[in-house]
Amino acid sequence: MRVGSQDPPWKVIRAFPQTNGGTLVHLHNVSGGVLAGDRLALRIDVGTGAIAQVTSTSATRLYRHRAGAADSEQHVSISVAKGGVLEYLPDALIPFAGARHVQRTTATLSDNATLLWWECLAPGRQAMGEQFVFERLQVETAVRSNIRPLLLENFVLEPRLRSLESTARLSVYSHAATFYAFQVGRPASDLRELESILAEIAREVSCPGVTIWGASALASDGVIVRGLSATARDLPSTLVKFWTAARLFLTGGEAVPPRKLK
Amino acid sequence: MLLELLQLSDSALPVGAAAHSFGLETLVEEDLLRPENLETFLRDYLAESGVLEAAFVRRAWGGEELSGLAWEFEARRPARESREATHKMGRRFAELFNAMSGHRVPTTLPYPIAFGAAGAIVGVPKESTALAYLQQSVTGLVSACQRLLPLGQIAASRIIWNLKPAIHEAVSHSERLEISCFTHLPELGSMRHRSLETRLFIS
Repeated sequence: MRVGSQDPPWKVIRAFPQTNGGTLVHLHNVSGGVLAGDRLALRIDVGTGAIAQVTSTSATRLYRHRAGAADSEQHVSISVAKGGVLEYLPDALIPFAGARHVQRTTATLSDNATLLWWECLAPGRQAMGEQFVFERLQVETAVRSNIRPLLLENFVLEPRLRSLESTARLSVYSHAATFYAFQVGRPASDLRELESILAEIAREVSCPGVTIWGASALASDGVIVRGLSATARDLPSTLVKFWTAARLFLTGGEAVPPRKLK
Repeated sequence: MLLELLQLSDSALPVGAAAHSFGLETLVEEDLLRPENLETFLRDYLAESGVLEAAFVRRAWGGEELSGLAWEFEARRPARESREATHKMGRRFAELFNAMSGHRVPTTLPYPIAFGAAGAIVGVPKESTALAYLQQSVTGLVSACQRLLPLGQIAASRIIWNLKPAIHEAVSHSERLEISCFTHLPELGSMRHRSLETRLFIS
């Protein structure tokens, strides 16, 4: 593992070897969160045949917007070279009351590259009674192979303008989680099989009105698992179930969870 | 031109729309979608998914390279059942259009892209093509809900009538370069649809 460069508030905690031959890296935001006007950039390059797991030390807190400041931004740029494996397992994004933030993630995957990635979105600081009182959250996600786009998402949440409690958006649920499993070049029939495996887990852990999960093969080279919940409580442990199953299916190897998730 | 557009956007056009609920069947099954919130749901759905689909109608009409546009649309549609439904309807639509008009719209395109390409060929203005696409789309969804919910013909017709400003707004917003679409719950309805014990619809 090589740290190309790092500037505050990012701090790359030293790498830990994993039993599967991979390397675990913790990222720490020493400022404690993302402040109005911050522009944070994170770039992860996984070399040919390398195995890396990147996680964070805590949730990403998005602080209240400050008058006159630009919206905070966090750009994550990922590349995985041929035969490489990246597990990107960050903690939840928590937009505080009044926050305005842009979260942009792009990933480029070479042939036979594998990307296992999850992301969680909380409605705010629920301990403070906050639920959807941030001002604006824009999330852009683009995952591409060398041939075609695999996943493109772009959404802007402005709860004061467009209710998230609409049945067209979240309804009774407040927390959103997504798990992505990509392997470029994997046959569509294999990905349909993985979809079935993950859909069965989704069915077992779903309890409509409290938590629902679903799985779907993407148009090419990947599978997505989406979850909505009225509580954050079981999301991390459920994401581990999907990740464990997908990792075994795609790489033949066991998932090695970061200690905080064990 | 008007008559051609009316036929292409007629809900009776045999493109298979009646076989698809695009995940709404799951939402009804879980009591999240009811007659009393259907109009609000569709208004919000138009503000998200409607804007996205209208944008692809416009771009196809505008002559963008169609296979690349299809890849992009597929990448923005993570739920397989709904994605496959738009492909099936796009194929049927293109086959019908080609047979009727003698033109050659590719049969491998998602429905909004095939519709936009056909609108340009017929000479329907871009905005009218997008409006007609969303009108038939809403009509199809309401029709699906009539089979899932206690929703009478007058109530259903009134909902479609009331949604016309939302259709106009969606088409207007589809001109933006950056299209936002956040429909996690309907997407999950589509992803979870096949796990329903009894299903009326393919999607």
